[in-house]
Amino acid sequence: MSAQTQTSAPGEQFDVNDPEATRFDILREGARRDDIEIVHYEPQYAPGSKAERRLVRVVVGLFLLTGLAATAFLAIYIWWPWEYSLSQGGDRFYTPLLGVTLGVALLALGFGILTWGKKLLPKEVSIQDRHEGVYSEEDRRITGETMLYMADELGVRRRPLLGISLLAGLAPVAAVAAAPIVGGLIKDPHKSGQLTTTGFAPADGELIRLIREDGRPLRPADISAGGQITVFPGVSHGVSNQYANSPTLLIHLREEDAIKSREANDQVGHNDYMWGNYVAFSKICTHAGCPASLYEQQTNRLLCPCHQSQFLITDNAKPIFGPASRRLPQLPITVDSEGFFVAKSDFTEIVGPDFWERP
Amino acid sequence: MTSDNDRRGGLLARLRRGRSAAPSRGRRRLGAAVRLIAALTLAGGAYTLFAPGVQAQENPPLTGAAAEGKALFDVSCVTCHGRNAQGVEDRGPSLIGVGAASVDFQVSSGRMPMARQEAQAGRKPPVFTDEQTRQLAQYVQELGGGPVVPEGDLSRGADLAVGGELYRINCSQCHAFSGGGGALSSGKYAPSLMPASDRQIYAAMLSGPQNMPVFGDNQLSPQEKADIIAYIQQSLQNTQDPGGFNLGRYGPSTEGVAIFLVGIVALVFAALWIAGKS
Amino acid sequence: MKRRKLDVAAVPGKAARELDDRFQAATPLRKLLNKVFPDHWSFLLGEIALFSFVILLLTGVFLTFFYEPGMTEVIYNGSYAPLRGTPMTAAYASTLDISFDVRGGLIMRQMHHWAALLFMASIIVHMMRVFFTGAFRKPRETNWIIGSLLFWVGFLAGFTGYSLPDDGLSGTGLRIASAIMLSIPVVGTWVTSSVFDGDFPGTIIMSRFFIAHVLLIPGLLVALISVHLGLVFKQKHTQWPGPGRTNNNVVGERMFPRYAIKQGGFFMVVFGVVAMMGGLFQINPLWYFGPYEAWVVSAASQPDFYVMFLDGSTRLMPAWELHIPIGDGYVIPPLFWPTVVLPGILVALSLLYPFLEARQTKDYRSHNLLQRPRDVPARSGLGAMALTFYIILTLSGANDVIADKFHISLNAMTWIGRAGLLLLPPLAYYLTYRICLGLQQHDREVLAHGVETGIIRRLPDGRFEEVHQPLSMGQDGHGELDYAGWVVPKKMNRLGALGPAIRGFFYPIEKPAEAPVSPGHPPVEPRPDREKIGSGDTRP
Repeated sequence: MSAQTQTSAPGEQFDVNDPEATRFDILREGARRDDIEIVHYEPQYAPGSKAERRLVRVVVGLFLLTGLAATAFLAIYIWWPWEYSLSQGGDRFYTPLLGVTLGVALLALGFGILTWGKKLLPKEVSIQDRHEGVYSEEDRRITGETMLYMADELGVRRRPLLGISLLAGLAPVAAVAAAPIVGGLIKDPHKSGQLTTTGFAPADGELIRLIREDGRPLRPADISAGGQITVFPGVSHGVSNQYANSPTLLIHLREEDAIKSREANDQVGHNDYMWGNYVAFSKICTHAGCPASLYEQQTNRLLCPCHQSQFLITDNAKPIFGPASRRLPQLPITVDSEGFFVAKSDFTEIVGPDFWERP
Repeated sequence: MTSDNDRRGGLLARLRRGRSAAPSRGRRRLGAAVRLIAALTLAGGAYTLFAPGVQAQENPPLTGAAAEGKALFDVSCVTCHGRNAQGVEDRGPSLIGVGAASVDFQVSSGRMPMARQEAQAGRKPPVFTDEQTRQLAQYVQELGGGPVVPEGDLSRGADLAVGGELYRINCSQCHAFSGGGGALSSGKYAPSLMPASDRQIYAAMLSGPQNMPVFGDNQLSPQEKADIIAYIQQSLQNTQDPGGFNLGRYGPSTEGVAIFLVGIVALVFAALWIAGKS
Repeated sequence: MKRRKLDVAAVPGKAARELDDRFQAATPLRKLLNKVFPDHWSFLLGEIALFSFVILLLTGVFLTFFYEPGMTEVIYNGSYAPLRGTPMTAAYASTLDISFDVRGGLIMRQMHHWAALLFMASIIVHMMRVFFTGAFRKPRETNWIIGSLLFWVGFLAGFTGYSLPDDGLSGTGLRIASAIMLSIPVVGTWVTSSVFDGDFPGTIIMSRFFIAHVLLIPGLLVALISVHLGLVFKQKHTQWPGPGRTNNNVVGERMFPRYAIKQGGFFMVVFGVVAMMGGLFQINPLWYFGPYEAWVVSAASQPDFYVMFLDGSTRLMPAWELHIPIGDGYVIPPLFWPTVVLPGILVALSLLYPFLEARQTKDYRSHNLLQRPRDVPARSGLGAMALTFYIILTLSGANDVIADKFHISLNAMTWIGRAGLLLLPPLAYYLTYRICLGLQQHDREVLAHGVETGIIRRLPDGRFEEVHQPLSMGQDGHGELDYAGWVVPKKMNRLGALGPAIRGFFYPIEKPAEAPVSPGHPPVEPRPDREKIGSGDTRP
């Protein structure tokens, strides 16, 4: 800001074309026209002072640092080995180095700009009027009457049929806009039976085998007591997300746990759901559909890691803690003539999270 | 097998196509079978040699290493596991039939001997040397047989991708995707896999310590175990995180802490400076 | 004829004149340049959200060049060895490619994710600032509503983006989302099968989330943010009370040049912090998670922090299942209450709060001056209560990690969360209320008796008392001052209206400022017809 020789006398009409007026005078006049009063405006450091020169050096240094860091970023981006390998190579520093150089470049730029604006520009306090309630009641009335007049001109009140017919005409148009979206998206959930059946439902009278994740069918000898394995329906694409409700946990219980489990089974009428000491429960939590599969082989609890529902395997997988309210459905299993596990039938309860019309 | 192939949904086939460098599944399975039979023969042989002795007399004849192991046992373990490892009620279970694998895991990871009775024995610096651990294991093995961890490189010829697939289906639910472990019900927990050695991982799968389910050789073949061990050691235990500091790999919870403690705090300080009067 | 010489110095002026001839922009432009903004650090919190949104747009565009929203199965054959040969969806494979096979792709992905977290975190912090200072009061209720909506729209943007990689962790989240939709009474199954086009997960959800994440939701965000900023501009920013500040003026800096420069600099700082975090802190290492498979899960499965409060409420919810014995019988599962009803209540409460408070206090005037939190104990207490509620839910969303790392029983954590959710918010209300009253009382005391000087005087009768420096001169030096709604000086060296006389950010610099300033600069004085500078709310 250039030094100023004369301030305009308060209250006087300011002449913008006054040759005496400085640029600051004009600026302040402009501000006044916008109801801004600059009440305090002074440089923080005397021009040419030691402090000012030091600040300029700081800002210059920051800007140069930005350039340096940005150049380093480019150099690293181009020449640093970046292709990932599992060994302890230099490539693991690629992303951190990019981050540091980019970060330094941007931070130095930011702080350079900020120091410039904060320290080298004059300090200022300005006061602006808010102009609230400046529009008078009169103005409001004029606008209101204008709008009402326009409504009268349209004559909706005198010729009500116009409005009604317009609404009647527009309503279907709105529906036309909505129809393709709703109609295209909507899908009957009950049609495919996806909610009630899983891949274990016998197909063409043939019982479905329990297979492992690599497709091999499973024999009782494949799991030791105290072991568990995730099994899938032995159908085409059984081990895929197409059968997201089918994954099942097959558990080989220890003798004493198996006895308890059988007793519990008998109580709910699942007399023949187990085969030997083997028991199979749906892996899909009845609460929110996560795979409940943290099997504790000593306590026989099954924990779901999403919301900590706990199921007691030896008591028909009854929920004993957490937000789940329904036990895990049990899959009735047996062993076929070739010695592989098969599902006797589909699950007899609904698998997966609950819903309104669950039978 | 052909009908099974049809039922596989193509997953295995694709997995196999990916592992061109690794030996074919068939050959590996053969190798696994051979190793299994060898292990069984050894264990069975040991059993037939010593089992009658167990029944016949109070102090069965022990091999040299096992005798050393018994001496160690009688000093450090007998309080809880009782004379001849038959267990003491409410203190320690019987060790007859748990096998050398279990001893290997519990002693080499420092879980045994326990410092005090608690819900779950935690990892500590081991009390016994490798040699002593082997002697103890040999003793328990000769008492009642059980699974044994094979010698040699336990992740030989492993396929990382298959190991990862098996890890995610069998292990990650408790030990977490990144191997950091996790909570189980009522104060129990699945430990972090970061400090686990290949023998310890193998032994844990074989013996199912504490609440961990058993993954016997019938369920996960030695080759599959090798795949899992390779995945844990080369991928999860590898500290080479390509994206910088890994925040403990605790997932979104530490990321959320970081955005407030680092991001918001740094920017609030910046804002304080920007709007400051000085 | 003499060639006319081109006067370089006159070119800008001439060009400006030509432009104004056509657009008549001079006056509106001057009005735009002449706009006063108050200056306080807490007014910059909203800017963090704005700037991180810009960073999100920039990095997000980069990511769309490489991301493929497909759910067709491919065999991964990229650089990351532990997944090579694994079947996965195209979405997950392309995300792995961004992380490992696109040069600089990983830092872009990480910056995008950190910027998303920063966006949500700064919205929360900004919202707290607005709430505790009463900036939402008339005439700014609309902007409060828009701001609240921005949180929820940002929440949706975050969730859809988090799901796009189709990895094991986000897929689990998506499955929970589908269960939440299923839990809605009557229409749940229809909603779910319509969103997923049939079975979960189906084959189209990634495409739908993609278009929502890159077009629909950002479009909505841009629209809402524009209105939000436009209203701040139109209604002018609130300000703290203080010398010269009234309900009818704005005291601060003009927008240009200093205020705008500060904003530009702050943008660069925010960008720099995001770049640093994107490079130095690994976020969402989805190569460990594997492709989403319905049977794969990890211990400590959590959503990003801004969704964690819903996860927490779900974990704390008791297993209350509602049976409706009509016809075949219907069910409202326990999942419905904490994930659909609770957010609904939270949205309604936050949207309605300005009106509820106005109704309660019967205060229907316009307010442009902020209130210190201590001056409105009831509101501050409610805010502390809401914040406590939110924090307990968020911590409960990570209660398994806390249980594991601090060796607490998982079941105990759930019970602590349940008890804490009921007991701690009222306690927070009470404590905040009492603290506010205490602070108020201290302010009044200083105003009445003066600042503690630390000088102890012994009275003739042997008693000791501390000498107070009165703030005003009454008859006996104990004239009482009115509270003006702003900081009361409580230390001797803070006397004076302009804040601390000592400089320094972390520790005081006792050196006097260099050389008297303002040589030859205009001594600006106010126009005499302006109102006198007073203090406090002098609205008629």
